[in-house]
Amino acid sequence: MNTDNTSTRRSFLKGGALLAAPLAAVAAPAVFAADEELKARLAKLENEAAIHSLHQSWLRRVNLGAAGAATPFADSKNVALDESVCSIAADHAGQPDTIEIAADGRSAAGRFGCAVVIETRIAQDCTLAQMALAQGGGFVRRTERRVLKVEYAKAPGTWGIVKAEFAQV
Amino acid sequence: MPGTPYPKEQMHRIAYTKLSEQQIASKLSGMSGPASASPLSDVFVGKSIRIVTDNGPALAYTFSKNNRLSVAENSGGAAQAGYGALTLDSVAFFSHMIPGTQRGYAVVIDQETNLATAFELWFSGYEDKREVQREIYYGYVEQPGREAPKARHAPTNRVEGKGYYWKQDTGAETLEFYPSAAYSNFVELSRFGGELSFCGPSDYIKINEDFCIYTRTECEFSGTFTAYVIDLNRIEQIGVRLGFDANDALEYSVFRGKGEWLGQIAQFEKFGDETGAPVPAANPGQTPAKGARRVYRPFKTMAKMTPAQVDAVCAKHTSAFAPRAIAPGANAPAASMAGNLGPTTSWLAGKSFTLRYDHAPAMEYRFDDETLQWRKEGRDWTKARYQAFESSPGVILFGHLLEGEPSHDGHSIVADFHQGLVTCLNGYLNTPYFANEAGVKIHFGVIEMEGLVAPKYRRHELTDEMVGRAVSQNYAPGLTSMHLYSTPHSLSWIIFTNADAGGLEWSGPAAYVKIRDGLYFMYWLEEACNGTLGTILVNLHTMRDVGIGYNCGENGLNMNALGAHERLAGHFDVKRFYQVKASGGVV
Repeated sequence: MNTDNTSTRRSFLKGGALLAAPLAAVAAPAVFAADEELKARLAKLENEAAIHSLHQSWLRRVNLGAAGAATPFADSKNVALDESVCSIAADHAGQPDTIEIAADGRSAAGRFGCAVVIETRIAQDCTLAQMALAQGGGFVRRTERRVLKVEYAKAPGTWGIVKAEFAQV
Repeated sequence: MPGTPYPKEQMHRIAYTKLSEQQIASKLSGMSGPASASPLSDVFVGKSIRIVTDNGPALAYTFSKNNRLSVAENSGGAAQAGYGALTLDSVAFFSHMIPGTQRGYAVVIDQETNLATAFELWFSGYEDKREVQREIYYGYVEQPGREAPKARHAPTNRVEGKGYYWKQDTGAETLEFYPSAAYSNFVELSRFGGELSFCGPSDYIKINEDFCIYTRTECEFSGTFTAYVIDLNRIEQIGVRLGFDANDALEYSVFRGKGEWLGQIAQFEKFGDETGAPVPAANPGQTPAKGARRVYRPFKTMAKMTPAQVDAVCAKHTSAFAPRAIAPGANAPAASMAGNLGPTTSWLAGKSFTLRYDHAPAMEYRFDDETLQWRKEGRDWTKARYQAFESSPGVILFGHLLEGEPSHDGHSIVADFHQGLVTCLNGYLNTPYFANEAGVKIHFGVIEMEGLVAPKYRRHELTDEMVGRAVSQNYAPGLTSMHLYSTPHSLSWIIFTNADAGGLEWSGPAAYVKIRDGLYFMYWLEEACNGTLGTILVNLHTMRDVGIGYNCGENGLNMNALGAHERLAGHFDVKRFYQVKASGGVV
């Protein structure tokens, strides 16, 4: 959700209340304009909700080791995360998440603060490392705070992920 | 009496016969049951019991005598077999084979709880058919009219860190160390003369706080399986040994033994973690096959090269102290062991001196920042890349390859400029078993240098001060091991799992040189295992080690630096077992 801009549920309710108040008092053109604005805002909220749902669904798949499978029309090479990524969790201590919908409503960009668990395999260049691998280890796991930048595109009726990449916080 | 306690070949050098399934069947066919030097127990005579296991067979036994039973697996027909049983307090143990098969069982029953653990044992289950396979089934002895108990014997790490001297009723004497929760380390004092220690995959199972079950399989060697119950307080054991010895003779016996507690070394698992079997038998998401376990098989996987192949690969690629690269996927030689390498020293740069060894050619040196020139006294100078580390004030470890030497030598040298003493661990190739397997010669001597007066008689000396100690080494994130200095002539290394439990373990010949109080220069040879010569200078005051590795494989000859942060992990009281005594020697 975008708390920096205007799309929180709270701001929606607040805005809705403000819009509702003058409805009876304004002339017809004004009522029409307000209706269009309400529709646009509703569409935006629906898009944000759909993207948020897609994001959550994709994260679940990432955490299950199935990244890329949730994006029906995305180029998988742009969506597949590095194999070293084991899991991604929301970083509630970071900056608020943002989802920005393009004016034409056909693309969007999201920024999500997250804690990424990364697993890197140690080089198999000595007996000890080979033994560590043989027993199912031989890797280093660490958690890093990152920003997940995701680009979305909307096909008729459906949002999909076009690109996902990490940026430093 | 003439004779020595030593075998013609140590265990890792014995070319054990690759017995065929038919040969094994033939050797088993005449066997009536396990031998025993102690009287067999009649604890089961006249009884019929049914053992129910969770994920294995139900075993119905009727014991007619103290060495004859009938066994039916699940609803199958009964088979008559010879067996042997022994008891230890409330714990009863018996073992039998199933005639006409290459299978059998070893069964442990706690008569107080009626809980049972059955080990199904079989030959011809692996490509090396003589290697005994085992599957463990946990269960109970059925009590008619009573509800099945919910408790079970279970894998445990509570045995990890213990060590014992054992003397069996057969006269066999061993030292056995359990520094891992998945492997163990054993020294055959009577069968192999106690020079070296060896390792095998092991199971540790908790019966209760006072009794446990231990197993090991001598994988990569004879394949012999040993299992026994330990009374942790009385230090007594009952168990079984099954396999074929170096002469391919069947060894199947139940035994009783008494021992001595040698100490307890540290465990590194998180407090509260008492789980056993820390090394999973299969990868996550995979179901392990029956009997599956992770087994380190270094002899099977090592490169085995001829002298001609060694010469060719050394000519193609030889490197010393290649730039460090710890990044994932880096291919620098042994970069993963250099993650905690300490700083190099430039103290040698600009200096020149002679290392005069007592029983090897003197070596003259001239040093620059990263390269040195060396020559055996009176010969031509040769340039070599080197690195140097000052482990303790005035004590410098440095190493270099000796280009042009027919055995592709490499020197790892500790020079004490405060004492004028030097020790060189001289690695070389073209050794008798595999040409790429490193050998080592130890040279003691003095430093001849302007302004430095060396002693006439004092030298660094071999020491047993480290024997019995355990020291962990963290080389880099994700790579932590522990050395157990198990004998004066060998050490074992244990690799920790990600939960810091002791996991896979292996061992090799070793020696320890005392440089100063708390400062030891040592080596290990990965014989029949990658062929590496590892040399480290262990500083027990700073708890750091710095070392030099020397390895030849299919990628060429490499010399590299390594370094680790260390922790003392305790020690076993074992030096007394390695003293040379009057008995057993050559007259």
